[in-house]
Amino acid sequence: MKSEKQKKTKYGASALLLVPMYLTALVLVLGPLLYMVYLSLMSRGEVWGFINDVTLDNYVQLMEPLYLNTFFASLKLALLSTALIILLGYPFGYFMARLSSDWKRRMMLLIMLPFWTSSLIRLYGWIIVFRSNGTLDQLLMFLGVTDSPLRLLYTYPAVVVGMIYALLPFMILAVYSSAEKMDWRLVDAARDLGASRLKAFTSITLPLTMPGLLSGIILTFIPSMGLFFIADILGGNKIVLVGSMIQDLMTRGRNLPLEAAMAVVLMAMTSALLWLYRKISRTSKLEGLV
Amino acid sequence: MKKTMALLLCLVMVLGLLAGCGGGSGEEETVGELNLFTWDGMFPQEVLDEFEAETGIRIYYSNFDTDEAMLAKLEETQGGDYDLVIADDYIIELAIAEGLVQKLDKAKISTYDNLNPLYMGQFYDPADEYTIPWGAGIPLIVYNPALTGFDLTGYADLWNPALEDNLALIGNYRVINGITLKTMGESMNTDDVAKIEAAGEKLKELASNVRVISDSNTQDFLISEEVAAAFMYTSQVNLAMTSRDDLKICYPKEGLGFGIMAAFIPSQAPNSDAAHLFLEYLNQPEVAAKCFEYLGYYCTNKAAEEHISEAMYDLLVVPETVTEGEIIQNISQEGEDAHAKVWNEFKAACGQ
Repeated sequence: MKSEKQKKTKYGASALLLVPMYLTALVLVLGPLLYMVYLSLMSRGEVWGFINDVTLDNYVQLMEPLYLNTFFASLKLALLSTALIILLGYPFGYFMARLSSDWKRRMMLLIMLPFWTSSLIRLYGWIIVFRSNGTLDQLLMFLGVTDSPLRLLYTYPAVVVGMIYALLPFMILAVYSSAEKMDWRLVDAARDLGASRLKAFTSITLPLTMPGLLSGIILTFIPSMGLFFIADILGGNKIVLVGSMIQDLMTRGRNLPLEAAMAVVLMAMTSALLWLYRKISRTSKLEGLV
Repeated sequence: MKKTMALLLCLVMVLGLLAGCGGGSGEEETVGELNLFTWDGMFPQEVLDEFEAETGIRIYYSNFDTDEAMLAKLEETQGGDYDLVIADDYIIELAIAEGLVQKLDKAKISTYDNLNPLYMGQFYDPADEYTIPWGAGIPLIVYNPALTGFDLTGYADLWNPALEDNLALIGNYRVINGITLKTMGESMNTDDVAKIEAAGEKLKELASNVRVISDSNTQDFLISEEVAAAFMYTSQVNLAMTSRDDLKICYPKEGLGFGIMAAFIPSQAPNSDAAHLFLEYLNQPEVAAKCFEYLGYYCTNKAAEEHISEAMYDLLVVPETVTEGEIIQNISQEGEDAHAKVWNEFKAACGQ
């Protein structure tokens, strides 16, 4: 009896410790979210703000080709960047896990090093590389590959490079952490039993690193849906993404309700894709995430 | 060991945060303060320093990137927090309509008569009750003749196929759509949605020439030869012209669009007296001349004109002909929405 009572109070006390966290989440996450959904159902105000007048017009308006194309453009850029990040990041993380512990630490430092500088400043660095007569141009001309400056900046590929650069570390670290935990003896066993290198990889390594890969995908795909400043800076403001359109609607367009509706749809879209991932992969465990 | 390191790291981070907040406290004693809220780079530091030294009032200076961000901030603070704002004409009309601006007490500004009447009595403040003009701008085309291969004479020349992927534009859609309307012989301020949409169609044909759209540092693209021609704000025109001798200005023959910046005091400004004092100080001829030489916008202070150096005179004092330009004004919501839509379609076309 006594011990049970003790257990209860212990449990009660620790539950109390969680209250601030839940309150913070409620007030700072759920609150604004609900407010945004509410805002998306309002009519826009004369000058600024909104009028308390429930309507679905904002969502209807989003069906116009202009907005649909913008969602499509964002999705396309996010999918393309994520696919390229997988191609680069997966092998990187995989081989990094096979290094000696000294080298692992060194590699980790090298990956984290760029984060010590603001991402905006690092993007401006890419401008120096890409611009006419910039570093890359001069290198190519020096090597005799090209004979006149290329026009690399403010193009779609420049934006994709920027996206990959910004998000690659998240993929590498996610894959690394799951490859690192893997029992490599399983691969040895498979090889001993006659499996080819490829077979061992597809039947042992890939399934075991899947949680890392999936969380890497989520960590890169979701931000890439919203990262519009890369497209603005390296794409010369020419590629319209959902993020930049929301910003435009909010500031110059002064249309808060439509902007909220757009944000709600964007969130619904990302959540649906997440759900789909889980459904397809049948994993509820995501490395380092859930 | 690890734990100590982590703890130390946390401490450093928290200290960093605190350092960021603590800027306001622990200063030497001052008579009062003045919270300025303007575009970046409105005043040379020496003018601010001299005002502080002369009056003992401490200036806190913050900037905004867009007029809309400024209005949002004023909305948020209900016209409080800031003592003096300098922004563009059309947004001031909105701010006044929303009751976020207080009337000026002209008796407190002895230098008021120095202002150039040319820039006063405008649509945003017809009776000059709320504002003092502080610089006028005329977006113009600047080009590099060696790269364009021809001389530009008007907005219509921007559509010339010779400029393919070679044009930089500012990102203000009322201005860009406005000059498109001008090439069609329409007013920049038309409310007619059909006309705005027609301009949108014409604008899409410009997309293949556009290399970059940027509101800030647009002159850099021209200076670094990233583009052959740029349509940009007055201060950027001046920066470009002073950095390279081989660039040329085109005063478009279709007519000029101009904008006026003006200073106003928000309705709940905590230090409105200091703001009046600052306005009085700024409009002394010598001080104003110094400011406009730094700012690079057309001088709105008549008395200051004789103090402007010869080298800068032509860039800062408006010739008589320019006054016939059109100012972009607020139009109906349908019109504004049509402009926003046209602009987004144009940008999407540029990205293809």
